[in-house]
Amino acid sequence: MTSILPSMAVDPESSPSHQADLELAARYACEGPRYTSYPTAPQFRQDFPLDQYLAWQQREGDHKRAPLSLYLHLPFCKDICYYCGCNKIVTRKKGVARQYLDHLQREIEQQSRLVGGQRPITQMHWGGGTPTYLDNAQLTELMHMLASHFRLLDKDYREYSIEIDPRTIDLGTIALLKGIGFNRISLGIQDFDPLVQQAVNRVQPYEVVAPLVDKIRSHHFRSLSFDLIYGLPNQDRYTMQETLRQVNSLRPDRIACYNYAHLPERFSSQRAIDRLALPSPQEKLLLQQMISHTLQDAGYLYIGMDHYVLPEDELARALQEGRLQRNFQGYSLHMADDLLGLGVSAISQMGDFYLQNERELEAYYRLVESGKLPFTRGCKVNTEDKLRRHIIMSLICDLRLDIGDCNRQFGIDFGTRFQQELAALEPMVRDGLLEISEQELVVSQRGRPFLRNLCMPFDAYLKAHRGDQPAPSFSATI
Amino acid sequence: MTVRLADTGDRIVLKPCIHDYQVNCGNCRLNSICLPLALESDDIEQLDNIIERSKPMQKGQHLYREGDGFKSVFAVRSGAMKAYKTTDDGREQVTGFYFPGEILGMDGISNNLHASSAKALETAAVCEIPFSSLEKLSAMMPSLQRHFFQLMSREITEDQQLITLLSKNSADERVASLMLSISARNSKRKLSATQFRLPMSRVDIGNYLGLTVETVSRVFSRMQKLEILQVDNKEIKILDIPGLQKMANVTA
Repeated sequence: MTSILPSMAVDPESSPSHQADLELAARYACEGPRYTSYPTAPQFRQDFPLDQYLAWQQREGDHKRAPLSLYLHLPFCKDICYYCGCNKIVTRKKGVARQYLDHLQREIEQQSRLVGGQRPITQMHWGGGTPTYLDNAQLTELMHMLASHFRLLDKDYREYSIEIDPRTIDLGTIALLKGIGFNRISLGIQDFDPLVQQAVNRVQPYEVVAPLVDKIRSHHFRSLSFDLIYGLPNQDRYTMQETLRQVNSLRPDRIACYNYAHLPERFSSQRAIDRLALPSPQEKLLLQQMISHTLQDAGYLYIGMDHYVLPEDELARALQEGRLQRNFQGYSLHMADDLLGLGVSAISQMGDFYLQNERELEAYYRLVESGKLPFTRGCKVNTEDKLRRHIIMSLICDLRLDIGDCNRQFGIDFGTRFQQELAALEPMVRDGLLEISEQELVVSQRGRPFLRNLCMPFDAYLKAHRGDQPAPSFSATI
Repeated sequence: MTVRLADTGDRIVLKPCIHDYQVNCGNCRLNSICLPLALESDDIEQLDNIIERSKPMQKGQHLYREGDGFKSVFAVRSGAMKAYKTTDDGREQVTGFYFPGEILGMDGISNNLHASSAKALETAAVCEIPFSSLEKLSAMMPSLQRHFFQLMSREITEDQQLITLLSKNSADERVASLMLSISARNSKRKLSATQFRLPMSRVDIGNYLGLTVETVSRVFSRMQKLEILQVDNKEIKILDIPGLQKMANVTA
């Protein structure tokens, strides 16, 4: 066992309030979507109305000038991380990035022709895979490619972020990323414990990450975000305590903790993980509670859905002002209604449409080469979806729903329309997760860890799956 | 055409007159800094065809202004340029100095508009490399674009590194860092690393480093007293490189 510091070791079960939290968490542990969209991606179909989307794009209107968010998917990784369930390709073959960029260029040409060049790009995110799989010249080229097809901004308020793999980044690349316009960085930390890192095949000691964080700070990036995962092999309360101590010493502005879902039948890379080394469900609950208490004691604000931020971070202010949004990249500031996803498997949310690009690389290449848009799945959001999306996203982002406002906006009577849903919420109200009055639904501090549970009654598709692929078995909520 | 690239070793044929705008990429003495080294000589000839060589620019003349569309990048052939932004209250903020062989204008890459203005600090000559032609050329010569972006990324990286270096340190460290930077850039183009003439004024130096002119002069005096530099107006002689590095708080 590594790094047990007896003087600092807290027993998370010792405090009565922690004990109560743990019991609550155990009671609400169930499966559910993460609501990065509604309807969620499994509800997308191949027979979505692409013609209506094209017609909408071709019409003049505010949507041709409104701010837009861009997502770029860069799928390659040099090594496999065993826990990963992302759409990625592990390869070191020379030339794959070149081939991808050439195709991405064609997609960018097609998509930008449709979207037009007027919309200011207020937000941009490069994710993967590993975006820094691209070398410095390719990163520069890709940014130039985007700049010549979209209206990128150099305003301070823009949010241009990129995910970085601490193992493969050269410190000089940090300077380059700043120079080509990024102002936010997200680091895939997962866990600092050496045995955990070995067990998931992602070895990146604290001693590697700390200088990288210094470098990022010295280049004045607006915000630094860490991704952590709980539920990994060899993790326990002691390793987590040390990881959290190290995380806190580096003081990232934002922290997103993800729950590892062990689904080896669905994600082949997870087959390399020893099931017996995984923490038990009880230990996992404890880890989640520990993360929550430790980070909040250290001054982080809990937003919800396992996201934490420093009080001075813009996300914290946005939460208070009701300006948060949730999309495929998690929480962000609400600056643009539409999100255009570029690259293999990327998902777009444009107007009333969700559209997903082809998920297989070769098929994506063929589509792009034939001059077609690479969308292969999607859905058009109907009035009912919009109403339910409004409720779910209000609960997740604002932690409250204004019933009067909802009634006016959608011409309904909330109490009558959602009688069943309100009944389903009753036990949660009794447990103090939610307060319901005539005017509003309010998520309590206690209810924040259970946002998914609070949203699921409003998800019509949990009962009536409509996607053209089998309904997913969801990752455990807790 | 005599093509002499870096693979022939350190010695590069020098053209007698650096203001000669008839010079081409193949025989330019700066091509080892400016050009993608792995280009074949045929490729260089093609590249040479798209590059526009302007007549020398006069001191104070603008190459481009903040907000201009990003159409080209520029390589300094002789003289020196400075880049600056205009702050909200109308003041000039110097953002960089550019010497022969160095590329400027790449601040336009992230939003397709130049984010700063560039003007000549003294009589200067530049090569303009139009991006649209470069892209056309790249279709025939895929290696060209790759090398060009390599070059660009290197320039952007160095720019940012310098900005960071200058933003956080003491006055001594800032001035020493700038002197070291100029020295290193001189030696890159086979000029003296220890003896050079500053093309910019003390005002520009102060503005760039975020220091008052008086502070810049005080640091120069201190460096003279410590026998690190010999300063005669714009003529600089570095007497003690390790001392300068120590002052800049960098290790060699």
